[in-house]
This record gives sequence, structure tokens and C-alpha cells, in this order.
Amino acid sequence: IETARIFDFEEFPKRDKVTYMYYTGRLEVFNENFPAADHKLSYALMHCNPRNEANIRMILKYLIPVKLSIGILPNDQLLEKYGLVEYSNVVQALKRGISGYFGRLSRSMKIGVFLVLEKLELQVYQRLLKKIYIIQKQRDPNKAHQMKLEVIVKALKWLEIDMDLDEVECIVAILIYKNLVKGYFAHKSKVVVLSKQDPFPKLNAKP
Amino acid sequence: EVKEEGKEAMQQWEDDWDDDDVNDDFSLQLRKELENNTQKN
Repeated sequence: IETARIFDFEEFPKRDKVTYMYYTGRLEVFNENFPAADHKLSYALMHCNPRNEANIRMILKYLIPVKLSIGILPNDQLLEKYGLVEYSNVVQALKRGISGYFGRLSRSMKIGVFLVLEKLELQVYQRLLKKIYIIQKQRDPNKAHQMKLEVIVKALKWLEIDMDLDEVECIVAILIYKNLVKGYFAHKSKVVVLSKQDPFPKLNAKP
Repeated sequence: EVKEEGKEAMQQWEDDWDDDDVNDDFSLQLRKELENNTQKN
């Protein structure tokens, strides 16, 4: 596909450019290059035939999870207009930090966007930890950066997600590795010690 | 305006949503839940 680079992109008819951007955008989603996917799919959306709602929906199906992964949320009207309300649960989950919602997406919805959704699920855990952190901070600012794994387990249990300490430790380890959480483990005492500076980096600040 | 559909769709996003808000129902319940737990410990 990339051999097309030797031609001047601008010379092609508009509809071909849109098609090219749509498919290479999807390819970028598959390769987890979300900023590039965002650029290409946004281009397709901006330049596609405005009368063809089915096409707009197809582009949005991929663009929405990509945007979500960089911290940009679609509003409800957009989801309703193009029959993508299935995503609103994901948006809500992401906003609040409620996990377990992704499993409810229909199969047809998951196809092609599964990798992004998987990434989003980690961000949901980040939200949840952030909520717990803020709540702890309001109660006792001095101890807020020490988060007991047990507390996370209990929050998840409340959300009807059964995880033991080891599983939670594993997820937190991934969050730290992926730079969604800044901190380290005090393994013995089963505590995550969060960085005092910006423990939950902004989603769109990352490449 | 039909012509602007795609562009209009580009505008219906929010990028600086407030995730520090802990006064919504969800957070209030979570707080309650966590505070219950501390008493037990």
C-alpha cells in the first residue's frame, strides 16, 4: 500500500483519497499507531461524501475508539445519530472507571477494534485508581499516595469484578509499565506507592 | 446542511473532560464503600 507514496497524493480524485485514508487508517488501528490512525480516519471523515451516512458510520466505528484511547470523547448526539450508542457504555465506563463494560459490546462491534478496546480497558482501571486516590486524598492528604492493593480489590468487588490481590497487582504492574500510573510497589506490604507528582499522566500527553 | 455532515461530526467531541470530579453518584458510592471497609479493618 505504501508504494502509493511515490505518487503525489493530492493528484488523486477525492473519493480515492478518502478510501485510501480509511483503509490505511484501519491498518494503523491494527498496528496500534493511534495518533496516525486518528489523523487518517479524521481525514476520511472530513472529506467523505457527506450524504453517505453509512460511510460516515463506518469511519466513526474506528475513529471513536481511537479518539477514546487518546482521551477524546464523542458526545451522545454523535453516537445516536450514527447508530453507535453501543459505544456510550464504553464512554461512561472510561469516564467513571467502571470496568466490565467492554464484554457487553456485540461481536460485530468488536471486530477490528478489539485491540483498541483492550487498551481502553487499561485506561478504565487507571480512572478507577485515580478516583480512589482522590477519595483517599480528601480523607487524609498525607497518606493518599499509598494505595493498598486490598482497597482496589474491594472497589472492584463492589463493581462485581472478582479479582484477588495477585491479579490486581498484575494489572497495576501493567499500568505502571504502560506509564498510565506513576509509582512503584512495596511488594511486601501489598501497597502501591504513587508518585507525588502527577501519578496519573494525562492520556493525550503520551505518544 | 447536508454538505457539512463529516465536518460536523468532527466537532462533536470533548477533549478536556473533568475526571477529577468525585461528586457524581458513582464516586460517592465508591467513597461510602471504601469508608465502610476501613472501619472493618
